[in-house]
Amino acid sequence: MSLNERERSQLRSALQEAVIKCSERCLYQSSKWAAELLDAIPEPETSPDDSRLSDVSSGYSTVIAPNPDPDEAILESKELSKYLLAKSFFDCREYDRCAAVFLPDSTLTGIISPKDAGATPKGKGKGKSAVGSSKPNNGQVIPKISQRSLFLCLYAKFMSGEKRKDEDAEMVMGPQDLGTCKNKQLITVSRVLEAWFESHKTEDGENVDGQGWLEYLYGMVLAKEKNEELALYWLVRSVHLFPMNWGCWLEITSLITRVDDLNRIMARLPQNIVSFMFHIYTSLELYQHDANLASSLDQLTNIFPSSSFLLTCNALLLYHAKDLVAAEQSFSQLLAIHPRRLDSLDHYSNILYVMNARPKLAFLAHLCSNLDKFRPESCVVIGNYYSLLSLHEKAVQYFRRALTLDRSCLSAWTLMGHEYVELKNTHAAIESYRRAVDVNRRDYRAWYGLGQTYEVLEMHTYALWYYKKAAGLRPWDGKMWMAVGSCLQRMGRNQDGIKALKRALQADSYYEIGSSFESAADNMRGDPEILLQIAGMYDNLGEIDNAKAYMEMCVAQEVGLPGESQGESIAIHHDSPDRGSDDGGDAGDGGDRGVNSEGTGVTAATSKARMWLARFAMRTEDYTTASRLANELCQDGVEVEEAKALIREVRSRMESAGEGSAPRGRDYSVV
Amino acid sequence: MSRFLNPAKIGLLALIELYTSKSVPTSSILDVLSFITSHLIDNDISSSASSSSDRWRRAENTVSLVVSISDFEKVLMPHTAASGIPGRSLWYAFLHKLWEIDSLDALHEFFDNCSTLLVKTKDELRQDAEIGIPPPAPDVIQLSRNSPFGAFVRRSQLEFTRLRFHDAIELWKDFVKYRQTTAAYYRKKTPAFQRLSFDTVLLAGESEWGSGVEAIASVVYGDMLKDDLNATMPVSTDDIEKLLEFQIDQMQKYGNRIPLEIRHQFHDLVMDSYMVPSLSHYLSYLEAWRAGDYATSFDYLHRYFDYTMHNRDKSFYQYALMNLAVLQADFGCHKEAIAAMLETVSTARENRDMTCLNFALNWLFHFGQARPEVTRELESKSQLGTGKESLAFLRSQAKETGTWSLFSSALMSSAKMCLSQGESVATALEYLVRSSQILVERNMNNMIGSQLSINIALWDRLGIAYLSATICEIFLQCHARHSIFDDGLKVTSRQASMLALKGKYDEALGKLESLDVDSLRAWKPSQYWHKFRGIIKLRRDLHHNNLDGAELLLSQLLQSKSEDLEPDLAFVIDTLHVDCLARRGNYEEAFTKVEKMIVELRDENKDIALRVRLLLLKAELLDKCGRSPKAFTIAVRATNVAWRARLIPYLWPAVGALANVLSSLGDFAPAIRLLHAVLPRSLECDNAAMTAKLYAHLGDAHVGLAGTMTSPPKSNQNKRREHLMKGVEAFEKAFNHYSSIEDVNKQCEMMAKKATIMKVAGDYALANDYAATYLALRRDAAQLKI
Repeated sequence: MSLNERERSQLRSALQEAVIKCSERCLYQSSKWAAELLDAIPEPETSPDDSRLSDVSSGYSTVIAPNPDPDEAILESKELSKYLLAKSFFDCREYDRCAAVFLPDSTLTGIISPKDAGATPKGKGKGKSAVGSSKPNNGQVIPKISQRSLFLCLYAKFMSGEKRKDEDAEMVMGPQDLGTCKNKQLITVSRVLEAWFESHKTEDGENVDGQGWLEYLYGMVLAKEKNEELALYWLVRSVHLFPMNWGCWLEITSLITRVDDLNRIMARLPQNIVSFMFHIYTSLELYQHDANLASSLDQLTNIFPSSSFLLTCNALLLYHAKDLVAAEQSFSQLLAIHPRRLDSLDHYSNILYVMNARPKLAFLAHLCSNLDKFRPESCVVIGNYYSLLSLHEKAVQYFRRALTLDRSCLSAWTLMGHEYVELKNTHAAIESYRRAVDVNRRDYRAWYGLGQTYEVLEMHTYALWYYKKAAGLRPWDGKMWMAVGSCLQRMGRNQDGIKALKRALQADSYYEIGSSFESAADNMRGDPEILLQIAGMYDNLGEIDNAKAYMEMCVAQEVGLPGESQGESIAIHHDSPDRGSDDGGDAGDGGDRGVNSEGTGVTAATSKARMWLARFAMRTEDYTTASRLANELCQDGVEVEEAKALIREVRSRMESAGEGSAPRGRDYSVV
Repeated sequence: MSRFLNPAKIGLLALIELYTSKSVPTSSILDVLSFITSHLIDNDISSSASSSSDRWRRAENTVSLVVSISDFEKVLMPHTAASGIPGRSLWYAFLHKLWEIDSLDALHEFFDNCSTLLVKTKDELRQDAEIGIPPPAPDVIQLSRNSPFGAFVRRSQLEFTRLRFHDAIELWKDFVKYRQTTAAYYRKKTPAFQRLSFDTVLLAGESEWGSGVEAIASVVYGDMLKDDLNATMPVSTDDIEKLLEFQIDQMQKYGNRIPLEIRHQFHDLVMDSYMVPSLSHYLSYLEAWRAGDYATSFDYLHRYFDYTMHNRDKSFYQYALMNLAVLQADFGCHKEAIAAMLETVSTARENRDMTCLNFALNWLFHFGQARPEVTRELESKSQLGTGKESLAFLRSQAKETGTWSLFSSALMSSAKMCLSQGESVATALEYLVRSSQILVERNMNNMIGSQLSINIALWDRLGIAYLSATICEIFLQCHARHSIFDDGLKVTSRQASMLALKGKYDEALGKLESLDVDSLRAWKPSQYWHKFRGIIKLRRDLHHNNLDGAELLLSQLLQSKSEDLEPDLAFVIDTLHVDCLARRGNYEEAFTKVEKMIVELRDENKDIALRVRLLLLKAELLDKCGRSPKAFTIAVRATNVAWRARLIPYLWPAVGALANVLSSLGDFAPAIRLLHAVLPRSLECDNAAMTAKLYAHLGDAHVGLAGTMTSPPKSNQNKRREHLMKGVEAFEKAFNHYSSIEDVNKQCEMMAKKATIMKVAGDYALANDYAATYLALRRDAAQLKI
């Protein structure tokens, strides 16, 4: 997808308009996003010619964009000075004052409670004839102001509510911070908007197309009120009307929890470049990573070669594909291009954490702290660094700071949960994870963390539920299934457990095939850990043959493998966050890390499998095999004492076999 | 800026690590360890600094270590390293250690690893044993946890964990900068060294980021990579506090000011410290006080109180008041000082702060002694009781509360009072011995100064000048460096005045000149010093009969008399004034002045010695006016008082005056007998003027006696001649003594008397000679005047 010069200039002017319009409405983040994107379009190489001059002459004022709708334009020009007043109030973060410029409190109460207003004499005296319960008249209560001004003052109201909500919650995880604080202005705003939309209906009950902004605000308010379907309706309307408002797309993203939802909604969306970006972004949020996504990202990168947003997406894509080295490099490049950009550096720090790149993470933290130590991203990076140093109290402190700065900082909640797990403060950990999940239901790490914490508390039924949630979010992640499987095993549901673990094995191989970044490895590979576990469960179920087969497979992992790639080894650490806590408590866990960091070779799991096989051989009186296995065990230096005992026994058996048959009862006693 | 850590401390830690890793060869261990220790341990017992410049060396060392790494270089360069590549110096090993800290993470690791330097606790050992880690080999150097090094390592570690992240960054950046100066040296010896070696991440990123590395480096390190003029010095609050305490301690202990250079350095450091301890205001206050800048010191004192109010509550109010009172008194605001001190007393009583109360009472007592005119009203209100009672109270109080310095100072005051009221010398000595015992027992060498001053005064009063001179010498040789500069100054001036009495003016001035210039920067001592020099010069001028010069000096000295002069200096100046007036021949004015002084003294109940001296002055004036008989009662009284109070140096002149009166009445023989009895003893006093005068009186008496033998009998003739010769002899001696103090007038007088006697005796040749000498003396005197 490449654009010709004309399209490119169109795109450029559309983005310019978007920047101005967003900043007119004090949507700072959206305007920043658009401006960044605008900057990423390469400048035309043409020398100064007439068209540019004409551009200058025809170019609108950069402060205020003209409104195509004549009525609105007239209104806007009329109230320009008032609008400017309101905007400066907003810029000074005096939200209530800003709202009061166009909608004084008295007017607002008139709009909000029209039914009551009929009863109160005050409202009656003031509220013209419109105070009756008849809905169409409500519109008259709203002063006749432009949509832009209405948006600004309602948005200010909304912001003031958000601010107050944060203030009411007081300390992060303090006594007031139970997630119960509500934005008290939501009702006001939604009532006003409702009234406005009512009054702007055509005769047949269809909504007249507005400018897209009020729809966006309405959608946002509805989403906050958890009225998600309706919210989605309005947000989609909004992006149809004004596609360049990235904030609106983000709201849509936050309403989508499954890939199916995404696919469904794509049909309802306009087909343009922003929706294309939205698709990529949302897929990434849903931890998707496939070749299509990569190629569409490539196409976009052609248009915006230096876009930091797309570079971030690319890095995240690699990260989701567990190609940590490439992800790290791509973030590093991003850093070189935009050394002062803090956004999404928290993801970078996660990657560095998983790679255990301490110096680099320290450097990154240094950089962030130098730029702005009171940005949630900086705090998360620093927290991650402290976590890597095993200074968990300090890490918690920085995550808390991040949350104080921005309560919706998802990664901080989850990471803080991890830290609390490290500190053995399970209640706090559960609360943190819960808050993370409340903020963003797509965060599998929080779900997984919840499961883990409950597993530590030996509440397996709870744990299973959360593991299943996590596995649902990441069906191709073996770690999730493994957790589910182990949990089931604990609960004695061996059959289900085996299924889950087999799924885990499949998931691991899925990575090999599914990702285009890694050379395909042999399909018979798998985590010896899982294999051992499956074998154990088969053993428990009495299906000895299956058990033996899996045990042998487990032992086979020692040799035939070309060494596990680094990416794989690290993935287990962070993506599936078993940071520190004893990972379902299975006995072989101690060796887990050892296995992966060494790549291949003897591990606790394979040794266990070998021991089992040796004993099995003993049982089946296959003494030569038993002796070979036991010797191997001795060589590996694991459980030497037991292995030696086994060898002695084998010898005595073999000798006694020469003399006569030994009593069989003893065999079982050994097992 | 951190509270404790700074790059210099990292350097010390690295050095400790080097030592424990046995990289320091045995021969250089002592140097290295003493270097480290000198920066870890506060008190410097070893350096009982002989000169004042040595005293401040510690502060200089601290500052220079903080500012640059070159201090390490100086210590380590001469030594070779015991491990690593042979031939490399210890300095290289040290740098290698520092440059190994090549990223922020490495810094964290460095501090993390510090715990391996320490001896493991029992718990750790047990845990190790469980895991299977063998205990460390016995020959490994491990620091005991409570040793100075161990404590330092532990504290550093603790402080590092307490740092917030951005503080850690600051430390890291400071460290990079601190280390950067050694890059040139290190690069020469290390081939792999590159420009970005100071941060391994940047070094590694150079290939990846390409040109972007510059941008990133500038984001991360800010302007630090360029030569930043506004660069701050890496000083920690701990250093600042240490320096502050050190300086205040020095100032309070020795009473001198901070050398300029150190003050500038310190000022730079404080500017760069992000937190300025309130103590620095106190330092400024002391400094301004010593500099004699009343307004500023007042301002700083109040500022200090305001800043310390939040952590010291009202229970320390009395100390604030006390400081205020001392300050006021020092600047001559006596009324305010008394008011403040009285409030101190009442607050201290209220708060039951015995130490403060005792100190305040002691101060008030001394103040009352020195300035009776200010405290007079108070005494009548009996808030303090009379001097003696309050002293007894103080003594018992001090003994009870065990405040030994107060106890000894009360004892000394008692001794002083005994002396000044002319009471038993034995009692005074007893007090002195008791106080000296306390001083020795408690090793309070800062009080020795005042103890010895009283001793000096005591021997002086007993007329044993030799002993008091010896004690002066002892103090200056042995104790001066421990005690406050004021004491040293006073004793030196005492010595100077003794020399001046012997006529060794140049030597005396030389003594004064040899005092430490830096200490004299303090305002009060320098005032004292200037005045004392003025007095000695005035005395010399008077003796040289250089009256114009003397009057010039006098006018200057008298100007400031009323405000702030020490009372004893004021008295000396007054007597010299009288002398000057008498030499001018203005007896009337001199007489009224003496009368006035006598009246003042009587009112104020002052030192008895001063009264005797005034009486003597009066007698002398009367004598000069030729009304010696009128002085008879005065002389008798003076003698009586001096005898009773054992004021030996004044007893002899009093007796001399008496003899003079007797001779003027014609009772020559008793006069001669008196003088004969007195003269040998007066020689002990080392007071040339006095001895000369006695000899002159003797001569007068002899001549007078000879005068009575004018009747012809032969034996009489012989006797007459004999007396005349004795007279000449006495005049000769007087002349010699006068010439030793260069008193031209008197020399001339003696010479004239001798000439006259010779003439009377009929030895004209000698008379001529003497007359010629007289004229020569006159000429010389005239020259001297010019």
